[in-house]
Amino acid sequence: MKFIRVLLLLLAVLALPLTTFAAEKREVLNLFCWSEYVPQPVIEAFTKETGIKVNVENYDSNEKMLAKLLAGGAKYDLIQPSEYVVESLIKQGQLEELNRASLPNFKNLDAKFTDMAHDPGNKFSVPWMAGSVGIVVNTEKIKDEVTGYADVFSGKYRRRIVVLDDNREIVSWALATLGIPINDISKDTLAKARPVVKGWLPQIKAFDSDSPKTKFLKGDVDIGIVWSGEAALLWRETKGSGKFRFVLPKEGAHMFVDSLCIPKGAAHREAAEKFINHILKPEISALISKDFPYTNPNTAARALLAAEELGNPASYPPGATKLDIFKDIGKTAREIDRMMTDLRSR
Amino acid sequence: MQAAHATAARVGGRRPGLVGWLLLCPMLLWLAAFVVVPTLILAYASFTRADEDTGFPIYRGGLTFENYRRIVLDDDGHFLRTEQEEITTVDRDGTERVTGTHATTVIAAPYLRVFGSSLLYAGITTVLCVFVGYPMAWYIGRANERTRNRLLMLVMIPFWTGFLIRTYAWITILATDGLLNGLLQYTHAITQPFGMLYTPGAVVLGLVYSYLPFMILPIYGSVEKLDHTLVEAALDLGAGPLATFRKIILPLTRPGIAAGVLLVFVPAVGMYAISSLMGGGRTPMIGDVIQNQFFTGRDWPFGCALGITLVAMFVAAFAILAKFRSSVTGSDHAFRAR
Repeated sequence: MKFIRVLLLLLAVLALPLTTFAAEKREVLNLFCWSEYVPQPVIEAFTKETGIKVNVENYDSNEKMLAKLLAGGAKYDLIQPSEYVVESLIKQGQLEELNRASLPNFKNLDAKFTDMAHDPGNKFSVPWMAGSVGIVVNTEKIKDEVTGYADVFSGKYRRRIVVLDDNREIVSWALATLGIPINDISKDTLAKARPVVKGWLPQIKAFDSDSPKTKFLKGDVDIGIVWSGEAALLWRETKGSGKFRFVLPKEGAHMFVDSLCIPKGAAHREAAEKFINHILKPEISALISKDFPYTNPNTAARALLAAEELGNPASYPPGATKLDIFKDIGKTAREIDRMMTDLRSR
Repeated sequence: MQAAHATAARVGGRRPGLVGWLLLCPMLLWLAAFVVVPTLILAYASFTRADEDTGFPIYRGGLTFENYRRIVLDDDGHFLRTEQEEITTVDRDGTERVTGTHATTVIAAPYLRVFGSSLLYAGITTVLCVFVGYPMAWYIGRANERTRNRLLMLVMIPFWTGFLIRTYAWITILATDGLLNGLLQYTHAITQPFGMLYTPGAVVLGLVYSYLPFMILPIYGSVEKLDHTLVEAALDLGAGPLATFRKIILPLTRPGIAAGVLLVFVPAVGMYAISSLMGGGRTPMIGDVIQNQFFTGRDWPFGCALGITLVAMFVAAFAILAKFRSSVTGSDHAFRAR
């Protein structure tokens, strides 16, 4: 008898969280975003204003996000993919169309970052932040004029170079030096890029996509090809002394645009659209720039930034025109992986 | 049948009773649900083709050996390949010049080479761990109880902090503007800082540091159990220290070494954070390459095939070591009989 009573008690205890869960009908938003990209104050301001609780989950590469999203099982209301992933998701019908009427703040965006090739008319995505990939030079150690990829790999800076640990990036730089469009990836163009990359690899000291700036600050490398955000943080860290110079490669730089999108079948679409409209507010968007000095696509927010932030040449490269963006390459990704594994495993 | 009986008798095994099975049940269920079943799924997926867009396995699209073929052979079906390599010399001002060519023969399949380099790193690590760990384990095992407990504690202390934090600590020490270079310059041992980080040596250092406790503890276990009167007897009977070590101590502690080798070698092959953090990601390790197949490479079946190959290698290593161990037990018996 006692046993049954204990059992019933146990069941009651187990059922308790279920009932409380049912009672609390608080609206939620499941946000799946990059790590180190969405500042806490932005989320807090949203919850304060709308009462919607935001559950945040992070990823550190587009491909990991894609794998988790497409494998199913987890339900996300808002994701933050880069442009070539947006393109692929649209192609696969994996995104919900946005209701522009609920996004009045869309007008704050700079026209340079809207209506781009990966999502014409911004039917499915709203830009979050943009950035480019460029060269960082420690001008205290390297006095030469460095203007492009070819200068970095001239052979003079052997074992002093850091590059992004991203095979597609490296291949795209090689293509750019050959004058081949960076999205023209085929067996043929890869065969042309191969000897170029092969000549580069032995000169590289480290591959790092996460925090290449640390290697600059600790003196392990003097030159490298990294995200503009990393360069902007280096510039900030040295108080704009000019120790670290950011250069957009003359062979042709490219940019990336990370956007907010709603995956197909999201349970809280309205909340997701409210969040998108929230981050388009100038004062909220400026908060993001404060923590993560990438290129802010929000014109109204830029007006709120301090002059020294806008003067950071890595965030806002002077004279930058509309740069190339990556396109979805589908299964060709495999060819790149194969070639780079072949070259790197010697 | 007789052989099986003999084996059971030798290890002194007894068939477990009902209670024994019940006690085993949770572990067996755990193994079945989280090891056996996933491994079987992995094995099945490794024979499928990948979906063009997502890279997921197509489970109903027929089976193929293609993934395994790609591990062993290159695109043209070669196992070995001869390459004309340019010889470059670096001038004093740092620019490179081509001064000649020479032919080298390499394994053609890139992924097989990655297996090779992972095994090489793990092998070097294991050997170094034996040479560094054995004297330490010996000293700990022979110390008096108080000292022994303190020393064992010191071996365990690194486990109190996260593995990544310890690796980052090494980065702080070895960096060009780091602590070690600073100390050497301060003491005028060197005039210019030199790059220690992001070299193969740094990877080996990181590996040895991480896995050394797994070598020390099992060897310590056998050293502690070792009957010291046997050592004294050998010395009394005129064997020199070297002969005593080779003929008495080494055979008796061999089970500990074998266990240590297994505990170090297997995880060292599969490790992947150290090569990118301390080696700068210059030499791809099999762990990194497998991960790539599931994300940037978008080819899950191929990743499964690489994983299954790795598992098969571990099973082979276990089998070899089990043989090694049983031969040790055999010699142990022979020793007692004598």
